[in-house]
Amino acid sequence: MLLTMFLLGLLYVALIGALIASGAGGVTIAVVAVVLFSFQLFASDKLALATMGARVVTPQEQPELHAVIERLCIQADLPKPRVAVMDVNMPNAFATGRSQKSATICATTGLLAMLEPAELEGVIGHELTHVINRDVMVMTIASFFAMVSAVIIRFAFFFGMFGGGGFGGGGRGRGGGQNEEEAVLVVILVSVVVYTISFVLLRALSRYREFAADRGSAILTGRPSALASALIKISGTIERIPSNDLRSAEGMSAFFIVPARAKQSLMNIFSDHPPLDKRLAALARLEAQLQGTSK
Amino acid sequence: MGLLDALVGRRAVKGPAARERLFALSTAYVTLETEQQITSSGVAGIVFQPLATSDFAAMVKDMEEVVKATASEMGASAESQDDSYGFRWLIVRDKGAVEDLVVTINGVSTAIEEGGYGERLLCAVFTFKDAKGAAINFIYNYKRGSWYPFVPAGGEQQRSTERELQLKAQIGGELPIEPELERWFPLWGIPF
Repeated sequence: MLLTMFLLGLLYVALIGALIASGAGGVTIAVVAVVLFSFQLFASDKLALATMGARVVTPQEQPELHAVIERLCIQADLPKPRVAVMDVNMPNAFATGRSQKSATICATTGLLAMLEPAELEGVIGHELTHVINRDVMVMTIASFFAMVSAVIIRFAFFFGMFGGGGFGGGGRGRGGGQNEEEAVLVVILVSVVVYTISFVLLRALSRYREFAADRGSAILTGRPSALASALIKISGTIERIPSNDLRSAEGMSAFFIVPARAKQSLMNIFSDHPPLDKRLAALARLEAQLQGTSK
Repeated sequence: MGLLDALVGRRAVKGPAARERLFALSTAYVTLETEQQITSSGVAGIVFQPLATSDFAAMVKDMEEVVKATASEMGASAESQDDSYGFRWLIVRDKGAVEDLVVTINGVSTAIEEGGYGERLLCAVFTFKDAKGAAINFIYNYKRGSWYPFVPAGGEQQRSTERELQLKAQIGGELPIEPELERWFPLWGIPF
């Protein structure tokens, strides 16, 4: 995971370097970046919950879910997050919120109906570990420059289409115009490269955080096999769900416990969740450690 | 737990806090009794998360035997029970002073800690009754080393926040009360 983080950082330093070297609109880029970043950090969780149709529930409405979360919060020494439920048959759960105090844990009604208490505890433990590890914050920061690159690429297309000859043919001198054009081209190229590489690295980082969350849940609940059993149950139904139901959930998949995709991923490197058998193998190792039967 | 652990998402589960904070009740209850007419109902319980391993089971078995034996010597009784969330309760009944309950509960947590499973301890619950006979629970959170009142009100999953805040004001000087209200976790279905 550290190597992935290092590579991401290196990539972003290169991007900043290219942006500064081009000298084009440094202040504008900074302002846009700050606005985007604060929006992502402060509004994205509310936006996500709203678009997913999740509803915050009281202890009276969902006594079992609240009780499971409360006990795990005592165990994890966490303040209690908001508890939300999504009225969807697809069994899944996710956590949002930039900090431990503003976190929300959301489960679907399908999940609550399907899992035994111990399995539900495992899934909630996984989501709480995302909260403990501040994974929303980590992924927001990590994906920030990838987003800036994406914005630059989009701007480039915009200018390419509407401002076509503007750079060279304006009122400026010929030589200066060409230099500027080259600089803009370099920034676009660098942005494309940064976006492509960071896409792959971000997916890798996300998979590491999933493993960490599985591990955290196992340690928190003391029952790795219950989480394994929950994962098998959840993934079994997700593959059988029609794809149009899943489409609406696509945007949140990075924080789902099992990604909401019906088809098998093309390659592991593009996947934001590790494959099920690897997660199960990791949980099996933890159970063996717990039982004192490993090595 | 360093920065590296935080970065790679490896955090250990927190162990119990210093023990003296549990013993704060053995003096605070006198104030409860004399000033607030809140008396002990002679029952206390400790709840922990059992692991399904032979080592843990052996430790719990030994601990329960010792606790039950010492309890019966002191004219008290102890029993264990599993709840619907998969947690194990050890319940101590002692009509004598609250100090004895505190000592017994501390014996349980000490045994679990010495067995190397301190991070599995959740909390201890001491039940009281006020002058009108309404139940009042004082819950000790082992991770935080702090106390908070939990007063169930009539109706499903309802608690009397007003009464709890009054209790905090009444006893806060003597009992280390959890300062963050969002950590006053209820415990429904206390099996005693």
